[in-house]
Amino acid sequence: MKHSVVALTINGAERQMLVAPGTTLLDALRESQGLTGTRRGCDQGACGACTVIVDGKTMMACLLPVETIDGATIDTIESLTPMDGLHPIQEAFLEGFATQCGFCTSGMIMATAGLLAKNPDPSREDAVRAISGNICRCTGYEAIIDAVLDAAARMRAAKRDKAA
Amino acid sequence: MLQTVATPGSLPETHAMLAKLGSACLIAGGTAVMPTLNGGTDEFTSLVSLRAAGLSGVSIKDGSALIGAATTLSDLADVPALGFLVPALETIASPTIRNMATVGGNLFVKQPYGDLAACLIALGATATVSDGTNTRIDPVEKLVASRLGAGEIVTQVSFALPAEGSFKFTKAGRKAMNAAAIVTVAAVVTATDGTVTQCRIGLGGVAECAVRARSVEEALTGKAFDRVHVTEAAQQAERDIEPFDDSYASAWYRARVTPVHIRRALIGE
Repeated sequence: MKHSVVALTINGAERQMLVAPGTTLLDALRESQGLTGTRRGCDQGACGACTVIVDGKTMMACLLPVETIDGATIDTIESLTPMDGLHPIQEAFLEGFATQCGFCTSGMIMATAGLLAKNPDPSREDAVRAISGNICRCTGYEAIIDAVLDAAARMRAAKRDKAA
Repeated sequence: MLQTVATPGSLPETHAMLAKLGSACLIAGGTAVMPTLNGGTDEFTSLVSLRAAGLSGVSIKDGSALIGAATTLSDLADVPALGFLVPALETIASPTIRNMATVGGNLFVKQPYGDLAACLIALGATATVSDGTNTRIDPVEKLVASRLGAGEIVTQVSFALPAEGSFKFTKAGRKAMNAAAIVTVAAVVTATDGTVTQCRIGLGGVAECAVRARSVEEALTGKAFDRVHVTEAAQQAERDIEPFDDSYASAWYRARVTPVHIRRALIGE
């Protein structure tokens, strides 16, 4: 069994790691990089708890053998959080009580980030569709959908303020 | 236990790697292979990824779509000329999975998944299969039934673009989004002066692989394109399907509702 070196840009920093064959991006982030904000839920691509952004697109980290994405750019929940305070999506989730146990939250927030990067003014159906691969077993979906729309409004307002 | 993961940079290198590595499994988007691997498997000891083999991208030429097998479902949905497929693509898994899952991989996922195959069958699509030396072109309905031989790779899927408004699709699942198929119906119907002159129907979720509903097509061709004749023709579907029980629906239920969903797909009611 031959280990190999994989280079990734993770949250803006270039990282190299030695991985065993078949190591998933999820394992690489959590075990090798200590980035435990990305959750391990089902390991099957069914729950969305491990959603991260790979080369600008939301993907499930448990479904990516890290050796096959050598050179990719990865953004995790840790990249979203500024040095001080919270990202508008995180604020919207916090203030809208969109977290119960919190296990699905980082995946929900990354799915939201993926949606808002493409569509800054989503409809409610767009929001539902964007998180349709993310499971919340506390079943707090209504509050989560509200938070996605609130986050979109906050980000649009911030952009307007910046432009003004 | 996995011994090797290879990400060759071209199709010839991919064939060479498959020949070199024993017990290799091809992986494209990973959405079907990785759950098996993460669950623990002795079925294969190496993975050969198609991610860098240059098999992605779509081109539209002379009224036909040529789709690289490693094109993701999201990228497929972004092609303006393939806008008619968007409602179907949006019923497949979630946006996150569609950013990963590929056109080629979707042909071989286990039922009741793989709705794109039903669409491709309805579109009369063909798949190009390479064994490293030769290529052959198979109708999609044949390939999904025969599956790939050892060392073979699907490189491209192609079909003629259907006339505007002729592509029909409906999918019955247990929930509105991100659901497995109870029945998936895709069809291309051409009617002239109210009479069906041509039709092709693909069904998903009702047999071991996506199938063509030839009996329904034969029963409908030449008939008036109305509720009475579509309802009557749809009853023939039982000759084309071999439904199964799973946690979403029983075989009995699938058989019972297949004609209803064929009718709904074709005439919208």
